[in-house]
Amino acid sequence: MALLNITWRELYDNLNSLRFALATVLLLALMLTNAVVHLREHPVRMQKYRDAATQSVNTLTSRTDLYDLAQKGPGRLYKKPSPLRFCADGGDSLLPTLTDAASYFWSTNTSKSFWRMTYPSATPNLKNIDPDATQIDWAFVIGYVLSLIALLFTFDAVSGEREQGTLRLMLANPIPRHTVLIGKFLGAFISVNIPFVIAVLMNLLVISTSNAVHLGVDEWGRLGIIVGIALLYLCLFLALGLLVSACVKQSAVSLVILLLIWVSFVIFMPNTLASIASRFSPARSYDAFQEDRRQKRRAVLEAYYTQREKTEDPSKRMLIQSEYVTEDAMQDGRLRQAYLSERIAQVSQAQTITRISPVAIIQHLLEVFAGTGLERHLQFVDNVQLYDREYREFIADTERADPESPHIIGIRDGMSKKKVSPEAIPIFEDTLSLSKDFNAAAMDMLLLTLFVVVLLAGAYLAFVRVEV
Amino acid sequence: MLKTLIGRELLDNLMTFRFAAVLLITLLLVVANTVVLIKDYEQRLESYNTSVQTHHKEIQEKETYSAGEVEVDRPPNPLSIFNVGLDKRLGNEIWIAHNNVPTLWEARMNASDNPYLNILSSIDIVFIFEVVLSLMALLFAYDALAGEREQGTLRLVLTHPVRRGHILLAKYISAMLCLLVPLLLSLILAMLLLTTTTTISMGADDFGRIGGIVLTSIAYLSVFYLIGLFISAVTQRTGTALMLAMFVWGALVLVYPNLILAIIRSSDIPEAKAVSAFNEIKQVWDEFDRERKHFLATDAFPGEDPTFNINGMGFFYEHFPENRLTLLYLYNSMMTFGELDEKFEEEVPHAQNYFQYLIPSTINTAERAWLIRKQALEDTLVRKSNMKRTLLKFSPVGMYDAATQAWAGTDLKGVRDFFDAVRHYRQTVIDYFYNKNAFASRKWFAADEGAADWRTLPAFSFKRSGVEINAKRALPDLFLLLTMNLFLFMMIFLVFIKSEV
Repeated sequence: MALLNITWRELYDNLNSLRFALATVLLLALMLTNAVVHLREHPVRMQKYRDAATQSVNTLTSRTDLYDLAQKGPGRLYKKPSPLRFCADGGDSLLPTLTDAASYFWSTNTSKSFWRMTYPSATPNLKNIDPDATQIDWAFVIGYVLSLIALLFTFDAVSGEREQGTLRLMLANPIPRHTVLIGKFLGAFISVNIPFVIAVLMNLLVISTSNAVHLGVDEWGRLGIIVGIALLYLCLFLALGLLVSACVKQSAVSLVILLLIWVSFVIFMPNTLASIASRFSPARSYDAFQEDRRQKRRAVLEAYYTQREKTEDPSKRMLIQSEYVTEDAMQDGRLRQAYLSERIAQVSQAQTITRISPVAIIQHLLEVFAGTGLERHLQFVDNVQLYDREYREFIADTERADPESPHIIGIRDGMSKKKVSPEAIPIFEDTLSLSKDFNAAAMDMLLLTLFVVVLLAGAYLAFVRVEV
Repeated sequence: MLKTLIGRELLDNLMTFRFAAVLLITLLLVVANTVVLIKDYEQRLESYNTSVQTHHKEIQEKETYSAGEVEVDRPPNPLSIFNVGLDKRLGNEIWIAHNNVPTLWEARMNASDNPYLNILSSIDIVFIFEVVLSLMALLFAYDALAGEREQGTLRLVLTHPVRRGHILLAKYISAMLCLLVPLLLSLILAMLLLTTTTTISMGADDFGRIGGIVLTSIAYLSVFYLIGLFISAVTQRTGTALMLAMFVWGALVLVYPNLILAIIRSSDIPEAKAVSAFNEIKQVWDEFDRERKHFLATDAFPGEDPTFNINGMGFFYEHFPENRLTLLYLYNSMMTFGELDEKFEEEVPHAQNYFQYLIPSTINTAERAWLIRKQALEDTLVRKSNMKRTLLKFSPVGMYDAATQAWAGTDLKGVRDFFDAVRHYRQTVIDYFYNKNAFASRKWFAADEGAADWRTLPAFSFKRSGVEINAKRALPDLFLLLTMNLFLFMMIFLVFIKSEV
């Protein structure tokens, strides 16, 4: 009963305050802008993706010759844009949107180089002369603005009352101290939540009523998880505010401490740590990679020449050549894949170290559940590599199914001449798996919960020991 | 009297917890980030040096003039440590050829860095000041008037024969003195770190530029202090003043710049003006192509084959690459053979004759297309991005950012200086070709009678514009900041004079 009373009192105090009005205005403006921008940009992105993907599939299915299919490969594979990109942009515009099965490396009179997956990198900013800006997405609103608001709602929760002397008055009643603390926490939680939830609902209302963006069951589930994570994050900053407020005698000092913590953890820590950490294990330079690749390819080529010298038998020579064609493509594919992993590992390692900062945690979590950013790109690359194998198996199976063919993959005359039906060719599908996402997010969720629990416990201890 | 007031205020401010905390955090952030930024700069410098060497070697190895696309590198700006601006983001490697007048939109990134790192954001020293100093200024100001009013000390002070203007001035001067301590101290530490690294060499001009950055930082700091003081003057309670100050800070620093850019983000679809300019450029090249084909058809060699049936170890290509967004359209062609079979000896004079006509004609067409393109780029891409810059200046953060970028030379104009130098250098290269009579020479496309001579080709060098140019570019924004200061001070004065104690 006392808890309810205290919560009500806190809530009533907050709802009438200037900060409540300002927070509502700020959050609403941000969330509505976010929705409008998403509605403007998402359809364009989707259209581009669909056009490109359809064209790529059409080119693929127009090939009926098995040798063509085996030599040219599946063409360009595109990453499907996430409909939830408004939740977390994740630097998606700075990441590549496609992989390319390229086969243009060499050709001789008797054979051509086979396809291998290449991973072009994106540098879209090269031509962009506009000033830099952070994207206004949910991750920004929650990570930066909501955390600041949470601190502004709690910095004087204990110290302010102590200054005014009302704390002494309240504790004169037979109310346990933890009830007071929980009441204050709940009061602040609800009063920050009112503008936040209104803003989120307005945002989703605008997005879901428009025809331009379609949100399915899966997306709504993800949105639910994202809101849950946001509330957990909010709790973290409320607990931090209460902790500092209980430890410090004056509200002014409490605010200064909180703001400095906020500035260093939220604004600077992720950037600085990422810059430092990205230097620990730098990927090889592009030139070094090319040099390595050249050497290894030459070794394979020379091995092929010496093999070929040994025999005069044309059918054996054909076999050796077919082996070379396959080995050349496979080896190059492996090298490229390894270099890609090297480059991505450098970035993801840097990102891991920034997780000391709560804003980096929430940024990562939101990216994972929104299906954007590096984690999503890794899933896309995984999908591509799965499809790569599927495609190669399809070629091998089709080849095996033809009894008249000499079964020498890699040479036009050595392969099945039967027409391949377009329906049989496997088509790339870029899917997102929620269970994989949970795997990627588990560690961060635990970390976030741990932070909240530690801070709440700290606030409780500080408040219990406080002298009124 | 003023002195006593200033002394009192100064003592009050210096002894506070907030002063110590802010000083500590600013120093920590600036030192930590300067170390990171210097490392980053060194890495970029190293990759620039490697790239220059590679390009120098590459051009010396080209056997024919036709194959010689000279590549030029943009050096990293050492002052990007203060404000990185566009220095790191725009391309730092560009090819120079007779068939195109190069712009920054053709520049590439040299391949040494990991492009996936782009998704990590980085910060510079000005950003630290932008965020921390503005917050600090507001924290110093919010209770300056409202606090004294609440405690009743303001009434006490005013019972003495003190002018109200003097009280304001004393508060302003003492707070600014306090705020200058972390600013200057952290800058001195940053400079110490900079001067102890051997890779960064700073000239007198650079110190002038850094002085400009300091000056702008002080003006920026003062604007935020005055905003805080204004809030303090119009509110009755410190609590209200604090809330207002924090939300104003959030709105000006955190929200407005990102919000305004999100709202007016430009699309990939070129505007009508750009489309018509592109078509015009295409027409110029089409006309060139017609004349070229006409020349081929009417010359002594039968048929329209631009290779004159010449073949061998080497390659030939011709195509018209285009980019509608950056209005790029040009005729790109290369014919280069290491050795020529003797059976082609008859065709060689025809080819020489053709190239003697073709290359000057290409150069002329490129110049004509450039005149159209230059204007159209200014009218579309540059104008659009400048409009965004103007809109950003509704927040003092935008002015501060623009002014410091101009001082550092990492703003759009500073980067474009480099491309002006590149265009100038292209002229030098073309003159070099003319001097060598390269177009009419056999060496344009064949290396069998001696390779092309690149030894006396003048090297490219780029000097950043002088400090007076930087000052000229930074002054409008600095002036805006100062005007804002004056305006805010007058407003505060008026409010404070009329307010009841």
